[in-house]
Amino acid sequence: MAGAKHSQAMFFQARAGAKVRDKVLQQALQKAKPLFVGKRAKGIAALAEDGLEFEALRLASEEIRNRVLRDLDVWLDIFEERARASGAEVLWARDGDEICDLVIDVARRHGVTKATKSKSMLSEEAHLNEALAAAGIRPVETDLGEYIVQLAGETPSHIIAPAVHKTIGEVEALFAKEHGRPVEARSSVDIPAMAREARGVLRQHFLSAEMGITGANFLIAESGTAALVTNEGNGRMVTTLPKVHVVITGIEKIVPTLQDFATLMRLLPRSATGQTISNYVSLLTGTKQPGDSDGPEKTVFILVDNGRAALLGSPYQDMLRCIRCGACMNHCPVYFSLGGHAYGWVYPGPMGSVLTPLYTGIENALDLPHASTGCNQCGVVCPVRIPLPELMRRLREEQNERGLRPWSERLALKAWAWVAGRPALYRWVARRAARYLDWLAEGSGRIRIFGLAPAWTAGRDLPVASGRTFHELYAARKRV
Amino acid sequence: MRLALYVTCLVDLMRPSIGFASLRLLEAAGCEVIVPEGQTCCGQPAWSAGNRSAAIDLARKAIAELEDYDYVVIPSGSCTDQLRNVYPLLFADDPAWGPRARALAERCFELTAFLADVLHFSAPPGEFAGQVTYHDSCKGLRALGIKQQPRQLLLQVRGLSLQEMPDCEECCGFGGAFSVKFGEVSTQIVDRKCASIASVGAAAVVGGDLGCLMNIEGRLRRRGDETTRVLHIAEVLAGGSEN
Repeated sequence: MAGAKHSQAMFFQARAGAKVRDKVLQQALQKAKPLFVGKRAKGIAALAEDGLEFEALRLASEEIRNRVLRDLDVWLDIFEERARASGAEVLWARDGDEICDLVIDVARRHGVTKATKSKSMLSEEAHLNEALAAAGIRPVETDLGEYIVQLAGETPSHIIAPAVHKTIGEVEALFAKEHGRPVEARSSVDIPAMAREARGVLRQHFLSAEMGITGANFLIAESGTAALVTNEGNGRMVTTLPKVHVVITGIEKIVPTLQDFATLMRLLPRSATGQTISNYVSLLTGTKQPGDSDGPEKTVFILVDNGRAALLGSPYQDMLRCIRCGACMNHCPVYFSLGGHAYGWVYPGPMGSVLTPLYTGIENALDLPHASTGCNQCGVVCPVRIPLPELMRRLREEQNERGLRPWSERLALKAWAWVAGRPALYRWVARRAARYLDWLAEGSGRIRIFGLAPAWTAGRDLPVASGRTFHELYAARKRV
Repeated sequence: MRLALYVTCLVDLMRPSIGFASLRLLEAAGCEVIVPEGQTCCGQPAWSAGNRSAAIDLARKAIAELEDYDYVVIPSGSCTDQLRNVYPLLFADDPAWGPRARALAERCFELTAFLADVLHFSAPPGEFAGQVTYHDSCKGLRALGIKQQPRQLLLQVRGLSLQEMPDCEECCGFGGAFSVKFGEVSTQIVDRKCASIASVGAAAVVGGDLGCLMNIEGRLRRRGDETTRVLHIAEVLAGGSEN
């Protein structure tokens, strides 16, 4: 698949160690986690003030998303027809390469030399910025986090907080360098001043870009509308100032009605940032009409498959419900030990551990379905009830069926199950193992270096008992 | 009432005292406890690793051995989840084994849930001088809803006081094969747990799953903490001799 050539997901395990040892990254992550978790908890608790109940809303949201997926083609047809009727162009892309080709083609048709962007995960899937730059069109990210990441020559490490892996000090130094300002011009880190500085730079881009590129949190079928949920106001600049607006979304992002959108909006910001509603919610329909003071002259929707349609009717269909709130990663102990870059592709955390193998090929992301302790905090917080740990487990099963796991792992599992199926043999093996562990522990009750699980004892001792199994001791006791 | 104690392979191999403590505790609660002889592994590691056929084989074996008892009690949330929640899934479309799996699942209980919810037991024989803190294991908490039961029981132990640690519901980073495959990541996660434990200064950290406890104990000791005891809740509640 198209994503595979850019995916670094195969190197998860190797990268994980480096990320754990990166002190600056750890500092940034440790600061962010309690904020995310605390804000969501408050947001969910505050539902009661509006007479709403989280579980009921989750069920309703799950149902809306399932309804769409049952008849996805029908809802897409309706969306296409209504969007065209309101003056927009609707295009379809099978993969990332087609996204790039379509966007570049639209840009060339309208003489575009610069495009402002408000975050679109699909353009990350397609590596659109690289393609635009190669075609002589300058892409400028305008979400503050995305802007920082773009200046640093990096990719986002979180889907709603793309620069969460950076400390304030790092951003300050980056701005000083990229904005041509000496570091000593500001005596201490001043976040409002930094935001003002970025805003000043971005304002010039908003005014001069001929094209705006965004994603959409949802597409509303009944009205042919794109819904954008943002906090910074840049989304409005990008969608109204340039003469051309291109919306790039996955085909699964559709919802039937405005009413459905309203239901999902009760959970999306609360799950993401704990907000009752985000600072800006834009519903964008069609193009600038006579008498309108602003808006694009040309609106283009690019609806993208890139692996999504293949999940319909598969054991992984539940994943298409995802509304990209980021709650799963915000509550994931593994994500917050590594940051998003370790996951090697657009989507990090539990969602990425499922999406990346599915979209880039299971054989290209072998570690990711295993990058979970199975704690299920992700499943508990997911606003559309995606059983993320079960989907990861199902992916492991598929890896086994396709012979993609190392032979030593498969053999060990088979041997364990074979022994466990034979109680007498199992008892004998367990007794030998208990003796062996006790011998390794040299009577100290713990093993400091255990050759069979070196990664385990690299960080901790292995506590062991006295060399006798429970069943052995129990049988002896009964005989007395 | 005939009650089967399912000991779990980790307890069998790594810490038999938990099995004996569970036995004493259930007997103190007035149960007739039998340890079925053929019991081995419930198949959770195979299921989690994605080996469905091995998980099914071991589930059939466990169902056949355990289905004749009034209750099956397990000193582990993780293994209980396998019998209660996964077995019925494994045989969802199997007309022969499906009903047997579902019938067994209803009668399988994690130790503290059985004591508190089924027996309404409130007189644990154990004694503990000092403060303990409780670590909520993920499967027990999120798959079985076990939260109040262990605390309620601990508070009945003479001399014991309970001091909650910050983020007691956070994963300790064990995750079975996860801690073997991703040792460094797991260590990073358990370090946060160790810091939480240290922050309350309790004499012991108590939990319901041996896997988590081995992970926590192993990291505490490696960090140089030789004094904080790491105990299974059965050991605290049962008191008495080690075996």
